[in-house]
Order: sequence, then structure tokens, then C-alpha cells
Amino acid sequence: MTRLGQPLPIALQTVAAFVRLELRRVVRNRRYLIFGVAFPTVFYLLYTGVLSGAAARSDAPVDGTTWGAYFMVSMATYGAIVAALGGANLIAQDRASGWTRQLHVTPMRPVAYVLGKLIVSYVVTVPAVGGVLLVALAVNHVDLPPATWLEVLTVLALGALPFAALGLLIGYVFGPDGAQGAVILSFLALGVLGGLWAPISSFPESVATIGRVLPSYDLAELGREAVRGAAVDPAVVLALAAYAAVISALVGWRYRAAERRSDG
Amino acid sequence: MQSSPTTPEAVRFRGVTRRFGDVRALDAVDVSISTGETVAVLGPNGAGKTTAIGLILGLTAPTAGSVETLGQSPSSAVSSGRVGAMLQASGLPSYVRVAELLEFTRRLYPEPLALSAILERAGLTPLRDRRIDQISGGEAQRLRFAMAIAGNPDLVILDEPTVAMDVETRRSFWADMRRSASEGRTILFATHYLEEADQVADRVLVLDRGTIVADGSGSAIRGRVHARTIRFDLPGADAEMLAGVAGVTAMDIHGDQVKLTSNDADETVHSIYAAGLAVRNIEVTGAGLEEAFLALTDPDRSQTETNR
Repeated sequence: MTRLGQPLPIALQTVAAFVRLELRRVVRNRRYLIFGVAFPTVFYLLYTGVLSGAAARSDAPVDGTTWGAYFMVSMATYGAIVAALGGANLIAQDRASGWTRQLHVTPMRPVAYVLGKLIVSYVVTVPAVGGVLLVALAVNHVDLPPATWLEVLTVLALGALPFAALGLLIGYVFGPDGAQGAVILSFLALGVLGGLWAPISSFPESVATIGRVLPSYDLAELGREAVRGAAVDPAVVLALAAYAAVISALVGWRYRAAERRSDG
Repeated sequence: MQSSPTTPEAVRFRGVTRRFGDVRALDAVDVSISTGETVAVLGPNGAGKTTAIGLILGLTAPTAGSVETLGQSPSSAVSSGRVGAMLQASGLPSYVRVAELLEFTRRLYPEPLALSAILERAGLTPLRDRRIDQISGGEAQRLRFAMAIAGNPDLVILDEPTVAMDVETRRSFWADMRRSASEGRTILFATHYLEEADQVADRVLVLDRGTIVADGSGSAIRGRVHARTIRFDLPGADAEMLAGVAGVTAMDIHGDQVKLTSNDADETVHSIYAAGLAVRNIEVTGAGLEEAFLALTDPDRSQTETNR
């Protein structure tokens, strides 16, 4: 492909301009704000404050930390997953409407499109995670050292790579309607089975076994280790990286197929 | 305007065939378009216009032959930012405002026009802060046009640009097109309106079933079309009865009512009476643009042309 032969400064300017445009689109999309940012924050409050039964008090001990901190990580992880997957809807829309085809007749290369979408999927996880953390701090007075707050935010946002990749994959596999269904199904399955809604230790062993291999469980584990002040477990990072690599390979395959289809 | 340093040709097709399955969308087309020309590609739906445009822009590759755009491969011409294109009803991104989309488009090109100039040229200044999902079909076409010129390209390609535009918008659109052409740009547009091709282009390529059936100035092409429509009533009319009538390029029979398209009305009328057909209420009118175009792209008709 000769299309990569673009001077670097323009390519960077292109990606930057595209990311700016895409961020505007995401922020103005109510679905992102409701499901990615508002939903996890509200649920966090419901399950730790308003619904505070004996077992669900914010300061109740759970898994070496408090329920307030534990469920904060769960909901922040959930928000990160929903936000990162959200890219799928816009990609499916862009492909169906022919916007990607219009971009093909500009100097912007298709690889800049994929890169831009990936960056955006990453960036939009920050408010989703940050919203839950902020509420945990301000309302439930979850008590963590300042460095730990930053670590939780960083770990959960950066660790969202497999989900950002999964969002791209869904966007390249499904049409606009199918993509929306696939996104919802994915974050529900990843959320429930990965132990984000109820601790995985409360599951029957067979279900818990499935849950423990999901990347949603891994990502929440990273966050919980950070909260406990434990060192990052390399096995968990490796598992997430493996998911990211496999899904990215699938994205590359579907992306090339989509590029070939647009050739005609 | 930067002019092409290496070649005076904006577009060159050498023996280009593009097949989709069994369909030959383009069949061994040879054509070359010089820098600064305004060229209309005229043809009915399915003639191969969009395929030709896809080839010039590198969206698709020829099955046989070669395509050069601005003296290089189509995809490197597009990558270099010297080509601007407006595709047929291409999508626009949701949740974005007009000026935001144009600002983004500008940034993709090395030497873009100023945002205010783009907005003004496309008549979009009053709509600059409008959300794209809230503009009309004609306004969306203007926006696509604005995107095509945003990069200040040497070559502008437009696929059926005036579809969905009202008469007034269409007029100002072509006025701006002429202005762009006078600045030395090469403009190639596809249309199925003979009138547009005639009024705007220096040169008209008529495409039919994948081949170029006519290539010349609008008036030269128009001159080749002397089609007339002949209507009359003929009790018990059928195609066999009318088979011997001279000059007929198309025939349409509804009960007793007959409509013929002829390239020589005098000869046709004469042979109707010579055959002793009991026609009544005969009426000869100038063919509409559609009939004229059919006459031009009809295979029998083009044979008559070449045999002359």
C-alpha cells in the first residue's frame, strides 16, 4: 500500500483533527453520557448509599477493603467497558452511511481512522471512570491515599484496551442496529459474569470459573489491587494484553475485509 | 493554483475495463482529460459513470488497463491532497456542526482554502453552526461540495452533484463551478442531465453501457441529436405493422395509440403514408431531452451515425 507514504507531520495533524472531531461526536451522544458516565455513577450510589442494607454499607469490609471502595472499582470498570465499547456504534454508522467512503477520497489514510477511533475509545473511558471515583470520594468518603486514586484511574483507563479493540471489532462486523445489540450484550455479559455487579465469590463455582477468565474480571482485579495497595500482578496484565492482542488481530482481519469490500 | 509540473493530463485511461462479476461496467475505455478542462460525463443510470469516477479516485482498481490521475497512481494523487471529490450521496458524520466538519476537512490537506472562503463559496455561511443532522438534502449537497473544494485541489471530481438541489441552488452551484474552472482547476462531473452538461462543460463524454459513445462539445453533441417524437392513432396497431417504417429508433404502442421516436421525421412520416397505414391525429414534436439522449445512446442509432 502506497497510502502510508504520507509525511509524518501531516499524518499526526490528521489524527489529531480526527480525534477532535470524534470526541465532539461522542460527547454529544446521549447514549455515551447516560450509559457510560451517568449509569455506573448512579448505580454506585444506589448500591452503596441509598440501598444500604446491613451487607451493603459503604464501610462494610469486603475482600480486604471496604464495600465502598470495592464496588467503586466494579462500577468504574463497568463504566470504562461501556465507554470503550461505545466506539462500535459510530464505526458501524460511518460504514453504513458511506462516511468512511468519503474519507477515502481525502488524503486521510484508513489506518489513521482506526488509530483515531482507538484513541477516542481510550480517552472517553476517563470521564466514565473518573465520575465513579469522584462520587466515591465526595459522597461515600472512600479513604485512599492521593497516589492510589491516580493509580486506580490510570490502571482502569489504560487497561481498557481489550474493550476498545472489541468496540472496533463490533463496528466492523455488524451494521448499525446489530452493533448496538452486540455492544449491549457484550457489556451485560462482561459485567455480570466478570463479577462487576455482584462479587464473583458469591457465584456457583462453575460460573465463577468462567467469570475469572473474562477480561472484565481481570481489569477489575487490577483496580482492586491498586486499592489494596498491592503490587500489580503480571499474570493479570498479561491476560489483558493477550485479550487485546487477539481481538486486535481480529480487528485487522475484519478491517482489511471491509477495505476490500469498499473497493467497488 | 499550483499546476501539474510533470504532465498536462489530469486524467488518463488506457484500455480500461472494470468488470463486476459478469457485468462490464467499463469496457476498454481510452480517454484523456487535459489540465484546466471542464468535462461532463453524461449517461443513463448504469452507464459506468460512477465506476469511472471510482477508478479516477482509486476507490476501485481496473480489471484491465491503467488509470493515471494527475500523472500518478490514483491513490497517490488522492493522498497528495491535489484531488477533491464529492461522491454520490456519501454519508456525513452525525453530531457535528457544518463549520466543524469543514475545519476538520481542511486539516487533512497540505494547502487548504480558508474556512470563511469555503463557507462563502458553498453558500454555507449562514449555516455554519447548524448541526449536520438538521440540514436539508440540498444543503447537505452543498456541504459535500464544500468538502470537495476545502483542500484547494487541482482536480475536482463530482458525482451527480446537483441531485436534491432546488433550481436556485443549482444555478448558484454552477455559477461557482464556472468560477472554480476559471481559476485553472480541472473539473469532471457526472450527470444525467443533458442540459447541465451542455451549459457548464467545455467537453461532454457520453457514456453508455461502459463505452464512450460520443465525445465533444455540448453543442456538437446536441447537433448529433435530431430526434423527433411522432404520435398518432392507428386501430389495431402492432410492432409488425410498423416494422417497415423508416427512421424509427424507439416505438411505444398502447392500444391504438402509437408513439415513435425518429431521427428523421420527414422520412418517417413519408414512409407511414407510403405504406398505406390508416393513421389519424398525427403529431410531430421535438423530442424531450430524455428521448434525445436515448437516440444518442441507442445502438442502432450510433450505427446509423457511423455508417453515414
